[in-house]
Amino acid sequence: MVFRSTRRTFLKGSVGASAMLLGAPAFLRGAAAQDNDLAPYTSAKIDWKQASGESITVAVIPASYFDNLISIAPQFQELTGINVRFEKIPPAQIRQKCVIDLTSKTGTYATHAADPMYYALYAANKWAEPLDRYLNDASLTDKAWFNFDDIIPAWRGADSVDGKLYGIPYDGEVTIQVYRKDLYEAKGLKPADNLEAFVANAAALNDPGNRIWGAALRGVAGAGQNMYIYPSIFREFGGEWFKGGKLTVNGPEAEAALTWYVDLMRKYAPAAAQNWNWPDIADAFSQGTIGAYIDAHSSASVVNNADKSKVIGKVAYARWPKGPSGKRVTSIWNWGFPINAALPDKRKKATWLFIQWAASAETQARTSYKFAGPAKRSGVNRTSVWKDPAYIKLMSSFGNNFVEAAMDSLQHDTDVDWRPRVPQWPAIGDTMATAIQSALAGQATVKAALDDAQKRIEPMMKG
Amino acid sequence: MTAKRLRIAAVIAISLIFILAWMFPILWSFLNSLKTDKDVLAYPPKVLFTPTLEAYRDVLFGSASILPNLVSSFIISIGTTVITMLLAVPAAYALARLRFPGKRFAGFYVLATQMLPPVGIIIPYFLVLRGIGWIDTYQGIILIYLSFSLPFAIWLLVSYFEDIPFEMEEAAYLDGASRLRTLWRIIIPQVRGGISVTVVFVFLNAWNEFLFAVVLSGNTVRPVTVAMYNFISVEQTLWTKLAAVSVLAMLPVILLGIFAQKHIVKGLTVGAVKGGGRR
Repeated sequence: MVFRSTRRTFLKGSVGASAMLLGAPAFLRGAAAQDNDLAPYTSAKIDWKQASGESITVAVIPASYFDNLISIAPQFQELTGINVRFEKIPPAQIRQKCVIDLTSKTGTYATHAADPMYYALYAANKWAEPLDRYLNDASLTDKAWFNFDDIIPAWRGADSVDGKLYGIPYDGEVTIQVYRKDLYEAKGLKPADNLEAFVANAAALNDPGNRIWGAALRGVAGAGQNMYIYPSIFREFGGEWFKGGKLTVNGPEAEAALTWYVDLMRKYAPAAAQNWNWPDIADAFSQGTIGAYIDAHSSASVVNNADKSKVIGKVAYARWPKGPSGKRVTSIWNWGFPINAALPDKRKKATWLFIQWAASAETQARTSYKFAGPAKRSGVNRTSVWKDPAYIKLMSSFGNNFVEAAMDSLQHDTDVDWRPRVPQWPAIGDTMATAIQSALAGQATVKAALDDAQKRIEPMMKG
Repeated sequence: MTAKRLRIAAVIAISLIFILAWMFPILWSFLNSLKTDKDVLAYPPKVLFTPTLEAYRDVLFGSASILPNLVSSFIISIGTTVITMLLAVPAAYALARLRFPGKRFAGFYVLATQMLPPVGIIIPYFLVLRGIGWIDTYQGIILIYLSFSLPFAIWLLVSYFEDIPFEMEEAAYLDGASRLRTLWRIIIPQVRGGISVTVVFVFLNAWNEFLFAVVLSGNTVRPVTVAMYNFISVEQTLWTKLAAVSVLAMLPVILLGIFAQKHIVKGLTVGAVKGGGRR
């Protein structure tokens, strides 16, 4: 499905659009002052005050989308009487800190911005509450008002383990191709439809003498760094994580996938890219030195940052290129909120009310296109917001095909088996990440790196 | 004559290489802290640019001000240093001079605490502090810092105390001074260099500590080493601000280093030449 903000769909669209028409003056005012009317929340048929007086601490990462939420949190306190305190923890440490809190059952963080790959671990240890109970309790959730199905299904799926929901997505991303339309046009190139074409495009643009490199992908080792991109390539090459019930990372598809990754990076990416993470890629692209990259759609805000980017107006987007298996497999991410199982009952309820408030369509709108500050959130969790003309208009400023590429990828290119969702993931992810980087850096051959990873991973799966 | 000149030139050249290697990251941070976001990413890197204090203004007085974090760092580092020295000086003196049962064992025990890998004890520390409600408090973090700064300080100081001729103490006793008075008036002035070195190292370790701080701190008490990481967000790295915070965080340490340099050099040589002593 493609969402385009034509005048026709704008007028034809029923509830959303007419609400938008009515809301237009409010939206314009909203640019100056934050909307703080509680009516859109009190229309939910639940008692928001049922946990009044409780205090909860929420761990988040430093990011503009959480800053926006923090800045409107006083509205939540007014609505519920629940005192909420935020703690910002850098992304590299939030996992460690929250796992310590969860293992020790101290209940320090009522909820936290959780890595979707950790839910299997949380569920296996019963550290987090299964959320269906809260979702189906009419005293806690007004199902019609919360409209859970509106939340992007791929992210909901990522926050579930064996069909049970453990986290509610708040903000997320999907990986897409980001390319320089001016350079592509000058050479008569089209955004790649398959991985071969992606390499061919990179070859056509590669001109290191003039400081233009064909392409870049994340190279730095990390379960959420090169092991965020590699699994997509692996799956596109037809790789299966489990063969006969055994986790296998060194099959022929894996070899082909990693060879593709290594070749692309060696031939057409800056040499330093083997140590790059996504901000480095976006920084380089914003300086006009990279022809195309595949990474999170949210990096669009960096390459469009007027303070430093030289490529504004020259950026366009497309879905992942297809792999030899004929599939497009995007990498997805979301920061979701689980409920800490170590909390007393009433605090669990308070936490759920917070999560429901944060993930609601109204809060998503107030932290994105209705937000009074400068930060534009591109990872809102709801299909309805993505279809909202005001949101589409805001997002379209990032460049051609942005909303379409992101939405199509989320709807068609996600893959439940994109990464092996097992409790041992943190260790497996790190092992694979090290193997990939050693292959990228030329310290080991593709085969040797994968065989070594396989040898290290096998004992982890037995434990 | 030429051979000597050549040798001097070589020494200077090698020193320069080392100084450059040491200076480069500091200089890089300092220059970037004065640039705009655009200039940081410019290629070739700009050496000449219009400096701006905007990054400093932002990190000191902006919405994500690190002033409270600098204050936290000072309270923690000074608190740790003062308590460490108050306890370590008498303890080191006792280990160097007094004879008491279990002295050898006590000495070993102090050293043994240094052998534990920090990562291994972080969860027990967390649980203990959580149990007594000291997570995210100054007393909690200082207590944990004492657990590694004290043994370190004691062992460093013991060697300095052992270097002092026992005859000096005897002379004081003959003149009727008590042990404490001797310690205060005779011994401590002799080990001033050693004490300065220890103070600098203890302060430095506390100021630079990250691993325990990130786990045991929270919103109330958050040293600058932890707060600094918030400028590397998942969205982008805020290079200019990160550089400005780094410079601000380095400043006290560098100042302390320069201030105590005279003592440190003296203290280190004293320890190096006469090190060992009686044990």
